Amino acid sequence: MLLQVEEVTKRYRRSPTPANDSVTLAVEAGLVYGLLGHNGAGKTTLVNQIVGLARPDSGSIRISDRDVVADPGFARRACSIQPQSQIPIDGLTPRQAIESLGRLRGGEAGLVRVRTGRLIDVLGLGEWSNTDGARLSGGVKRLVSFCMAAVTPGRLVILDEPTNDVDPVRRRLLWAEVRVLANEGAAVLLVTHNVIEAERSVDRLAILDHGHVLAEGTPAELKAGIVDDLRLELVLDPEARLIETPQFTGAHVVSGNRITATVPAALAGQAATWAQDLRRTGRIEEFSLAPATLEDAYVALVGATPVLENTPEETDVRAA
Amino acid sequence: MFALRSYRLLVIWQARRMRLFLPLGIVVQGLFALGIVAGYPLLFPSIDRTTILYLATGGPVISLITMGLVAVPQLVSAAKTEGTLAYMRSLPIPRLVYLLADLTVWAAVVLPGVVFAVIIASVRFGLDLQISPLVVPSVILVALTATSIGYALASLVPPMIAQMASQVLVVFILMFSPLNFPADRLPGWLAAIHSVLPIQAMGEVMRGTLASNTFPITLGAFALLGAWCIGSFAATSVVLTRRA
Repeated sequence: MLLQVEEVTKRYRRSPTPANDSVTLAVEAGLVYGLLGHNGAGKTTLVNQIVGLARPDSGSIRISDRDVVADPGFARRACSIQPQSQIPIDGLTPRQAIESLGRLRGGEAGLVRVRTGRLIDVLGLGEWSNTDGARLSGGVKRLVSFCMAAVTPGRLVILDEPTNDVDPVRRRLLWAEVRVLANEGAAVLLVTHNVIEAERSVDRLAILDHGHVLAEGTPAELKAGIVDDLRLELVLDPEARLIETPQFTGAHVVSGNRITATVPAALAGQAATWAQDLRRTGRIEEFSLAPATLEDAYVALVGATPVLENTPEETDVRAA
Repeated sequence: MFALRSYRLLVIWQARRMRLFLPLGIVVQGLFALGIVAGYPLLFPSIDRTTILYLATGGPVISLITMGLVAVPQLVSAAKTEGTLAYMRSLPIPRLVYLLADLTVWAAVVLPGVVFAVIIASVRFGLDLQISPLVVPSVILVALTATSIGYALASLVPPMIAQMASQVLVVFILMFSPLNFPADRLPGWLAAIHSVLPIQAMGEVMRGTLASNTFPITLGAFALLGAWCIGSFAATSVVLTRRA
């Protein structure tokens, strides 16, 4: 195991509940590991402890079998990180920023130049590669900070919400690059609350809630509990009032004018008839019935708080 | 070797980051020095050689101190707020190297102003300054001490408080510190405070090396400055290494 987190507990002063409560997880080299959870679930706290910016109250963190709580300097050499907050690069061009980071992380000049050029190409950043950082959009800056973590990658690459602000086309390119990092041998720890994206991108994941690990496994393992469920999604008429969901639906989430609920597969026909009826009477615009996703598993585990979209993360102690 | 390379890369990084600020900072520092050397004399109806010497040698010190104690806390606080400081802390760079690289860039901003102030004073008042070679280590020591105190201040307290403290410091340094006038003009209690603070020692060190024919070079001042420099360096590196 490349990263081993065992029984890590961290409590901040003035906070009644621990930010991390006996967190145990392990990340293998060559895999993308997702760390999912609501705002304030303790994801960033865990990352800060891994890279040596915070110290656990108890428990152990090992990278390549080395105790990084005792040796945070090793953690910094072993990890490259894309923080959730934007890294200001005003005054530098993306190419300069990426190359500088590659060199600061110990990369050899020629190799860093080649890798920088490749990252700029594959992520479609060419037209901005020589633009001052102050004039870049949020999405481009986010991609640049991904490149800064990927140009001379650590054996553990930590990406904290890497796709925030990034356009849909480049998101795909970014996910492909994340996979390249893993294929090159790095362990990738992906921190996100975007469950839909995570389902497509991670090999394993842990769901963190109120500081502890609720579930851990592959996306398929986590969905095993809801394998007999379908996902019913209703798009409401903007004018219509909220719809009372029938008894046979499980946990449901309301997000804007969308309602998502689980339905036992055996009752698919009944659900379809009910939804079709709503559609005919104009109370909903459309509906869909499909196999349950990781998001449904997540909702079933964590509870139906409608915060599955990208929202500002928990207080970032790194900026404090 | 790695430390040296990191130092070089970080200096370039910081210089580029402050690309827009650097020329402006140099100009502002130059104007500041000019104001003290050429503007302060306007306060006096007649002016003797000693007063002129105090102004001519006090100007560069004030430039150095305001850079260190005012501009540095503001820039470091901003870096703290926007998360740059934490990001830099997550990189495999020795803390001391990071600190030294920052200090180098700031020194580059303030030094032209120092030289400018000395030249202006010499020309404006026809001063024949006897500059000791010790001026080079003295300027470095004063710059290092001022910036590392500023750095420590910004690292230790929340950004808002650091910004306000730096404003209060400006007034204290400009008006109530024996840089442009002799320490014996201060009330006893303030003189006592200044005997342990580094500001007066900074003035003495610079005066002694810029006008070595008039002012003595005191070992005590060097020792006091050295102690402050090491102390604030240590405090800063502890803060930079501290884990939440």
